[in-house]
Amino acid sequence: MSSIKMFEKPLGMRDTFPITYEKIEEVRQTGRKFLRARGFDFIETPSLEYFDTVGKASAIYDASLFKLVDSQGNTLVLRPDMTTPIARVATSKLLKEKIPLRLAYFANVFRAQQTEGGRPAEFGQMGIEIIGDSSVYADAETIITAIHLIQSFGIHSFKITIGHAGVLNCILKDYTESVEQAEKLRGLLVERNYVGFEEAVEQFHLPKTKSDALLQFIGEATNIVSIEHIEKYVRKNDALEYMQQLMELVSTANLSPYVALDFTLSSHMNYYTGMLFEVFAEGSGFALGNGGRYDGLLECFGSEVGATGFGIRVDRLLEVLPTKPTLDQQVAIIFEESQFTKALEMANHFRQQGKLVTVQSKKGLFDEEAFMKQFEKVVYVSQED
Amino acid sequence: MTHLTIAMPKGRIFEEAYQMLIDAGFNLPEEVEMSRKLMIEIPEENIRFILAKPMDVPVYVEHGVADIGIAGKDVLLELKRNVHELLDLKISQCYIASAGLPNTSMNEIAPRIATKYPNIAMNYYKEIGEQVEIIELNGSIELAPMIGLADRIVDIVSTGRTLMENGLVEYEHITDVSSRLIANPVSYRMKSERIQEVVTRLKNLVN
Repeated sequence: MSSIKMFEKPLGMRDTFPITYEKIEEVRQTGRKFLRARGFDFIETPSLEYFDTVGKASAIYDASLFKLVDSQGNTLVLRPDMTTPIARVATSKLLKEKIPLRLAYFANVFRAQQTEGGRPAEFGQMGIEIIGDSSVYADAETIITAIHLIQSFGIHSFKITIGHAGVLNCILKDYTESVEQAEKLRGLLVERNYVGFEEAVEQFHLPKTKSDALLQFIGEATNIVSIEHIEKYVRKNDALEYMQQLMELVSTANLSPYVALDFTLSSHMNYYTGMLFEVFAEGSGFALGNGGRYDGLLECFGSEVGATGFGIRVDRLLEVLPTKPTLDQQVAIIFEESQFTKALEMANHFRQQGKLVTVQSKKGLFDEEAFMKQFEKVVYVSQED
Repeated sequence: MTHLTIAMPKGRIFEEAYQMLIDAGFNLPEEVEMSRKLMIEIPEENIRFILAKPMDVPVYVEHGVADIGIAGKDVLLELKRNVHELLDLKISQCYIASAGLPNTSMNEIAPRIATKYPNIAMNYYKEIGEQVEIIELNGSIELAPMIGLADRIVDIVSTGRTLMENGLVEYEHITDVSSRLIANPVSYRMKSERIQEVVTRLKNLVN
């Protein structure tokens, strides 16, 4: 191990410089205004949680957790997501006051890097949770809110792909001969390994009707245009009817063009019990966000009222955000020693006009020319005036 | 037509895969000047090829700087990148196996395995319930058992000639390997029509 140099930061940790800071702040304000107008209340939870509560229940892989030990010997984690802490605080307190809850957050979460750079280990997440409403309308509200929120940032080239754990499980159960086979196939879908899925189906030596159905399903299921196309694979069941209803609601809101169906969508955590979705936008190589119904997580915290929500990664949002020039004019007032009072008066005058004013003494400048370059307008306050 | 960036492995697999794309009806020049170029633009098809080391193809695709790519299953298994594995192209078929000096058994205390696939090797021996120590090498893996660095090697085998010429024998067949078409998760959605078309055309060719 080489010694750590003074400029170094832990892998994945980043500084936020002024330009980025302003961009994030703009995102925060746009998002906050938008979500508040839809009846969502913002909350914040602590950065540190117990591993035994939030750490274990979280959908984030164990290896990605930053772990610490407190003075009593308990293992702590830096919160890896916001959904789990919110589920904790909702079930233990907030649900007793109001149900259903509509909560929103804008907070940093922490996920350790194992392999390489290029990805932040701490990043902002913005999202909502609707807790205590199990109806299809809550899921529809989640999806519609996600679409409108992304649009409110001026992003138009994006797609939401929706699946349903119930539909997928029904298909896997019906066309395989054992739980192990179904689980193996589900695991391959979590990895998005379609080739492996086909190979596994062939290795199982299933009756031809079953294996043909599975192979055809995997060929089609990622690109289903309308819900009718999946019906031939699934017994009539609640999950399918639920999805039909959900898609109707999305289409009533005129948002169908942004939505695609993908019934191979699956999460490695099995508490995603119902519909789940991913958000993709042009301009970033990684998913912008994801969401879904997570009744199972609430059960971990001893509640059965149901919950749904989504989160968007702010770092990836910044990548796809159309760049806007900052509107505020930046002015510098450079004053000579005796003119301090005059400079202050002038600064107040400009500030009242909404300008961003820097007051700088001439004496304190090393390189006046370089300093001036950073401003759109420079005013001198000298004795001659 | 949506623009498509394809990450290709340099060398022998490139030629095979490139020929496959031509056979699948893509309008590509018969001869490409490969010399030292790392990027090839094909304006007729609105395609850009980037030429990378085989091990790096999934990295380019995962980060989304390439929409799709062609990568060996060995590389995918070793790196475990977050990419969609769409199609088995059934080219450059070979397999990963363990090999060693004939009629030897592994050291009982701390068997040593030399390989350039540390993750694949570790996972394999874990699965069969054997605790081993991995020694990572970058090439000429066959040397390791010959000069006593390792009990076994885990490496890619196509004909078995290299093993034979170095007096090694194959012990266990670990997994089959061939080239796969992979896609970035976002591109797979945002450029789904274009990518789906590539998959369909190549699929017809493979089967």
